[in-house]
Amino acid sequence: MNRILRMTLILVLLLTASALSYGQDDESGGLDFEFTEEQIEASPYLQSVLSRLDEVYDTSDFAKDGPYRIAFAAQGTSNAWSALMDAHAYWYVEELGEDVVSELLYGDAQASADIQVPQVEDLLAQEPDALILVPMGAAALSAPVERAMMQGVPVILCASAVETNNFVTEVGTNLWVVGASLAQYVVDQLGGEGNVLIMTGIPGVTTSDIMEEGADAVFAANPGINILDKQPGFWSPADAKGIMETWLVQHGDDIDAIWSGGAQMSQGIISAYLDAGMDIPPIGGGEWQNGFLRLALDHEIQYLAWQYPNAMITLCIDAALQVLAGEPIPRFIDFVGKIDNSDPFTDVEGADYFRPDWSDDVHGPITMPDEKLAELGFLVEE
Amino acid sequence: MSVAKTVESSSIADSWRIRKLVVDYGVYMALALLLTAAAFLTPKLFQVDTIAIVMRQASQLGIVAIGQTMILLVAGLDLSVGGVIVMTSVAVAEVSNGRDEMVLPAILIALGLGVIVGLGNGILVTKRRVPPFVATLGMLVLVQGATQAYTRGVPGGFVPEMLGMVNQSWGFLSIPLVLWLGLNAAFIFILRRTAYGRKVYAVGSNIEAARLSGISVDAIRISVYIFGACFAVISGVVLTGYVGYVDRFIGTGLELDSIAAAVVGGTAFVGGRGGLLGTIAGVLIIQILSTMAVLMGLDVEVQFIIKGLVILGAVTLYSVARVES
Repeated sequence: MNRILRMTLILVLLLTASALSYGQDDESGGLDFEFTEEQIEASPYLQSVLSRLDEVYDTSDFAKDGPYRIAFAAQGTSNAWSALMDAHAYWYVEELGEDVVSELLYGDAQASADIQVPQVEDLLAQEPDALILVPMGAAALSAPVERAMMQGVPVILCASAVETNNFVTEVGTNLWVVGASLAQYVVDQLGGEGNVLIMTGIPGVTTSDIMEEGADAVFAANPGINILDKQPGFWSPADAKGIMETWLVQHGDDIDAIWSGGAQMSQGIISAYLDAGMDIPPIGGGEWQNGFLRLALDHEIQYLAWQYPNAMITLCIDAALQVLAGEPIPRFIDFVGKIDNSDPFTDVEGADYFRPDWSDDVHGPITMPDEKLAELGFLVEE
Repeated sequence: MSVAKTVESSSIADSWRIRKLVVDYGVYMALALLLTAAAFLTPKLFQVDTIAIVMRQASQLGIVAIGQTMILLVAGLDLSVGGVIVMTSVAVAEVSNGRDEMVLPAILIALGLGVIVGLGNGILVTKRRVPPFVATLGMLVLVQGATQAYTRGVPGGFVPEMLGMVNQSWGFLSIPLVLWLGLNAAFIFILRRTAYGRKVYAVGSNIEAARLSGISVDAIRISVYIFGACFAVISGVVLTGYVGYVDRFIGTGLELDSIAAAVVGGTAFVGGRGGLLGTIAGVLIIQILSTMAVLMGLDVEVQFIIKGLVILGAVTLYSVARVES
């Protein structure tokens, strides 16, 4: 009964959201969200993304015959998410065939901007036809992006942005809307009134800051929501658990809901609640990460999960090929709607996403075959 | 004239006593001050539940800090402990793969790897005369690289349920706290009451004098690096059970926090001075500050500033007091 009520509520919310949508057309994909003029004015990120949604880049200067040599400046060996992104990249290039992409030049940034900056220079020295960059720092990577464009190498930003506007296109999603949608879920779960805790990612990291900005805007627009505290969990389950333990002592049963900027932190939050033997309130902030879904299913947690699929690299490669074919391309490509099952989902659908044969650190959706996952050691015995 | 001299020497003696008081008891006075402030600012800190949380979280740092203190006592430093913690987490999850009966073999394997890392650090510092900062930083990168090469950047496996016992509390007592206190008791005894402990202090105080008096200086220095790595392994096991999940960033920052705890606790960077009781107080100061910051809802920037000021204040106070006394 409870589940049916929740499902009805979510359906009503989705219908309301689409009725109020700002006007992102179907082509742009992405989450629908009604922005106010004040919110757009206050956010340079929002202004940039919204303006680029309608902007098309003339790529005729980059047109050339294939096969192509594409440079991929990746996040690299740092976590399961980026390992799966790399695996998707190699698999997809293999699928396309050597007559389309003759070589994928790879740079492993080890999740560090300091390593990535000279690495991009090294990749450019090999004169690739296009550069796909997963930026490890918005400011640090701006100059290398500018140099690549000056050198005549089209830059496709993948999964994150840089500060300069001198690139061809960006593949990702509107992170402001992600943060705002998670906050809206929390507001809706509480009927507009209640005490909320906010756990952000790493202060200063663009993804985290923009999501926080979106969440703040929604909570500010709902005067019935009382923010008990906001602390960074550094995208670490250990840090998140430590903070949540202290929050439980400080606020205890007064906590009505939690906004979390990542599934790793949500795992720490859940673990703290389980240790304390307390009921877990709704969490706005999970992801399609198998370990999070396992915990959420086992303990019947209410949540809204957003997605940041590593499989978006296939869209980045497609974008590079489109640019090199000289076809006009949108300056912002939202993966939602373009990669199957990359929409946000709630606990109502959570069981459909959970895969018992995946290890806990797999981030879905996965578009490559299971054999590739097995090769990487991501499949487990059920 | 002689009266003036007597007054002057009495004033010098007073000043010396105050400085000695700062060096010997400064950290305990700081802890008492902090607790007094907490009584007004965050009274919830004194609830049994909060004490249990503070102690459990302090234990994770405290166990690493035991090894770090011993290394600092011989004028060394160990930056590789963070890498050892991640390596331990990966080893425990990979070897046990969630099976409780494999917890002990997994811990033994992790300890074995820890001994190799500690031995490597010790040999680099003693036999190759590489400065401890460089040797252990290099070892940190090596261990991180080896862990990544093994996992291909993806820590796998499952944490056995048995390790979840580190999360249980009985009043303010928990397994990590008992472990931390037990290890402290053992090593305070070793450092104060055994020949080995006296040799550790002797090597740190004056390495040449220790060598001339027949102490096997290199063996002592290598041994503390091995102890340091083993304590990092134990802390890694506790942290893995605490999180219940293998995370590449587990234990991040513990290398610097453990150095900070030891230094705030009065252990000198130049070696030979300090001890584990001071480090316990240092660990508690750092942990209580973190917990108070969350209880007070302070911004993270403010938390970092306060932590930095405490460390800088302690180092400055000790250096002034020691030099002038």
